[in-house]
Amino acid sequence: MSVLVVAEHDNVELKPVTHVVIAAALAIGGDVDVLVAGEGCGDVAQAAARAAGVNKVLLADNAAYAHQLAENIALLVTDVGASYSHILTAHTTVGKNFLPRVAASLGVAQISDIQGVDSADTFKRPIYAGNAIATVRSNDAIKVISVRGTAFDPVAAEGGSAAVEDVAGVHDAGISSFIGEEVAKSERPELTAASIIISGGRGMQSGENFALLEGIADKLGAAIGASRAAVDAGFVPNDMQVGQTGKIVAPDLYIAVGISGAIQHLAGMKDSKVIVAINKDEDAPIFQVADYGLVADLFKALPEFEALL
Amino acid sequence: MLIETDLEIQPLGVAQVLKALQDKEQADIVIFGKQSIDGDNAQTGQMFAALAGMPQGTFASKLTIADGKAQVIREIDGGLQTVSINLPCVVTTDLRLNEPRYASLPNIMKAKKKPFDMLTPEELGVDIAPTVEVLCVEPPAERQAGVKVDSVEELVDKLKNEAKVIS
Repeated sequence: MSVLVVAEHDNVELKPVTHVVIAAALAIGGDVDVLVAGEGCGDVAQAAARAAGVNKVLLADNAAYAHQLAENIALLVTDVGASYSHILTAHTTVGKNFLPRVAASLGVAQISDIQGVDSADTFKRPIYAGNAIATVRSNDAIKVISVRGTAFDPVAAEGGSAAVEDVAGVHDAGISSFIGEEVAKSERPELTAASIIISGGRGMQSGENFALLEGIADKLGAAIGASRAAVDAGFVPNDMQVGQTGKIVAPDLYIAVGISGAIQHLAGMKDSKVIVAINKDEDAPIFQVADYGLVADLFKALPEFEALL
Repeated sequence: MLIETDLEIQPLGVAQVLKALQDKEQADIVIFGKQSIDGDNAQTGQMFAALAGMPQGTFASKLTIADGKAQVIREIDGGLQTVSINLPCVVTTDLRLNEPRYASLPNIMKAKKKPFDMLTPEELGVDIAPTVEVLCVEPPAERQAGVKVDSVEELVDKLKNEAKVIS
């Protein structure tokens, strides 16, 4: 048995979610190899080699992989992964993009978003927006799996000393190209990696009012999130959305402000350790999952909150 | 067109059936949702694209077609990404691509008279037997509702001294 983990990175840094995927791979068992595909990503491969529990790092460094285009990455992973018993990557927009192509090309099913490993072929995954947990068994020769980024304790980033090997040959499907990217630049931590998150919903009433959250986020070192309602209303950009179809987060502290708590939002944050809800509607469903609920007008409560920090 | 089967439907099977149809239909753009609300798999469109040898624009929030190519703005974890893909292609839709067009009553009535092709996976030459078994389905760990606090002072005090999540 041997597991191939496809690393997530931006050619400069290995994303912390990769350490979570390696942890899931170690729970399955066998040798764990990490594939780093990108352009000019030698440092990423070195970082992967230092992660605890890694047997070997495979480096595919080529312009064809620079932007993680699914068409090219999938050909590479299908080729390299064919000799493994398991292929794992993170259930992020990158992993969700290329991994199903790998599974289809290998003629096997994919098991998405696992949050537990029962054995080498049996896994737990959420269905119905996390309202039920299914235990599923794969009868395929190769198990192709995406891993929930909040579900396993990451392995140590340092301590390993795996060898880095180059992957021979290049896979360029030649049917897609990268045009550009608008990536939000922020001094704040990333939503999926933050230990504290403060999120605003429709109750914020406008994008300008999110400034009320910013002061608090700065004092707490928190990331800022939003409900789908706030994104759909154009208050804030899509990459801030927490929920079933946005990001899944599990920080130590999640503060929901002006968010009613639709099940689709709860699906994205209910594994947080401590949940605080501030909402003027005392019947809002968010209070059913909140450890601490404050029924108040957020426009009064937020400035008070900031002043007390 | 309706494909009927008594087997449990899994994403790879759906992709294989649609690939067999695409071989007949030769569509230039095949549009999928990004994920179902029950299985939350987010697989079928990408699997179909791989089987059909097509490029894909997944999680699309804007789509422009020009000169035999599709330019797709995609919702990604960090923000937005723009890719150019050759036709024929697959697009999977994200929440903000457009306003859904709801069927009007006259169109619902007309729909009842539209011709209907019924096929089975066997007739399309596709074996969709599932390879993933669901062993059990259970409720997740319940979260207990906590306490209501009366003031912002009390909230900050509890977070500092009881939950110890801020300092």
